[in-house]
Amino acid sequence: MVKVKYVARPKLSNMERIFFIDFIHGLKTTFKNLLRKTITTRYPYEKLTPPKRFRGTHAHRVKDGKEPPSFVVLEKFMEIHEGESRCVACYMCQQACPIPSLFRIEAEQLPNGKKRVTRFDMNLLNCLYCGLCVDACPVDCIIMTDEFENASDKRADCVIHMDDMCERGVSFDRRRYNEPDRIWIDDKAREKLWGQIKWTYTQ
Amino acid sequence: MKELILISIGIGIKSLIFIIGMFLLAAYLTLIERKFAGHVQQRPGPLHVGFHGLLQPIADALKVLTKEDIVPNFVDKYLFYLASLMAFVPAIMILAVIPFGEPINIFGYEIKPYISDVNVGLILALAFGSISIYGVIFAGWASNSKYPMIGGLRKAAVLIGYEVALGFALVGPIMLAGTFSLREIVEAQQGFFGAFIWYQPLAFIVFLFSILAETGRTPFDVQEAEAELVAGYNTEYSGMKFGLFPLAEWYIATFVLSAIAVILFFGGWNGPHIFGPISPYIWFLAKLFLVFMFLLWVHWTLPRYRVDQITEIAWKVMLPLTFINIFITAIIVIIKG
Repeated sequence: MVKVKYVARPKLSNMERIFFIDFIHGLKTTFKNLLRKTITTRYPYEKLTPPKRFRGTHAHRVKDGKEPPSFVVLEKFMEIHEGESRCVACYMCQQACPIPSLFRIEAEQLPNGKKRVTRFDMNLLNCLYCGLCVDACPVDCIIMTDEFENASDKRADCVIHMDDMCERGVSFDRRRYNEPDRIWIDDKAREKLWGQIKWTYTQ
Repeated sequence: MKELILISIGIGIKSLIFIIGMFLLAAYLTLIERKFAGHVQQRPGPLHVGFHGLLQPIADALKVLTKEDIVPNFVDKYLFYLASLMAFVPAIMILAVIPFGEPINIFGYEIKPYISDVNVGLILALAFGSISIYGVIFAGWASNSKYPMIGGLRKAAVLIGYEVALGFALVGPIMLAGTFSLREIVEAQQGFFGAFIWYQPLAFIVFLFSILAETGRTPFDVQEAEAELVAGYNTEYSGMKFGLFPLAEWYIATFVLSAIAVILFFGGWNGPHIFGPISPYIWFLAKLFLVFMFLLWVHWTLPRYRVDQITEIAWKVMLPLTFINIFITAIIVIIKG
């Protein structure tokens, strides 16, 4: 059972009440902030690189020899060439998605009995960028990149397809595959925005 | 007859200069406020239109003037149009009685830096301030919508409480100066320790609270509490009709009331003559700017009071304080003669 703890409002002393001491404390704080440097980025002219695990526009990893073992198992049933999307059309991403209708995945059976993915569209207008599809993918195919400028004036432009997802995945892996997976690229970038972290234990 | 025509032409030109100057000033006060608010929150504010956003007010004015002016179907059209004027005109009319300095002689003509020096100037200023309540109430009523209605009524409740406190707070300085004329009140405060703030600290505090309440700045901005009411009494307005409300309330009214505060408590344009013949104007504007910046500072620091707390402060704290102040001042005036 949840217990409720009642906390009394701290009583003001008469000094504080008459001379507006807490008002003055507040005014002091804002004045200190007034003198500090601004922490904003001048966005269109100055862009921050998001951390590697940023949840931006989706992309497909391609078959390039860095696949997980699960892909090797599935590969023999699939018609996938080097440099093509790893997608095996298992529909796991669609199952995991809160809005499954944004996916349109189609596959066909070739005459030699193998499976080939013919269509992988995502309507990003419905996407809420939760990243559940990334976690669900068994072959480490669908990922989320650091690209975040995906506004457009046409709705059709907001639907991404398999070929441009592959391109995005290749460029993302080229840029950031070997980067350590941490939120800020270096401590300097973090300290600029958030200040120095004081750990309570020694590392 | 000829003299009368000349005087009216002179006053007409002077009023035009005052009104246009006030418009430009109010536009740039928005920029000052936005820059100040930005830096308090560690962001730079307007930055890209002109050098550090210096042309931003002009861009804003163009935008507001050319926006579509929507009048909703079920509003009371006459009151709806009247309300924006009723809020704006009285606020700018107070300028008529505010002296910005002593008369000066240029090329043999005596130029008075005020439109009129009536001997009841302070009462006129109070009266105009009270009229602007109608603008707010009309706006709330005519919009025929619940948020403006609540906002207008809240503002009315706050204003009625603080108008009374404001009126009584002004009695102290008036008793000390022995006149209602704003120019003579300034002349009564000579020297650094002649300023009435040293004799009337209680009145000054009440006056400060009243300015904040009258102009709808925090901690008393309940009438447009944007978390509760969409935008308060001007929710249904758009275009320049919308622009007039904040312009009148946040900038012109604040500016004018700060001017009255400077005249009543900080010795107006009195100050050492270190800038030559224009030093009275510089002193007046500098004091005015400091008071205005202080009000901005308070606005961007404090959270909002609840409605009942605000009216409680007005009637239970501020009004008794002014009575105590009047009582003490009266005794001192009687003893000193």
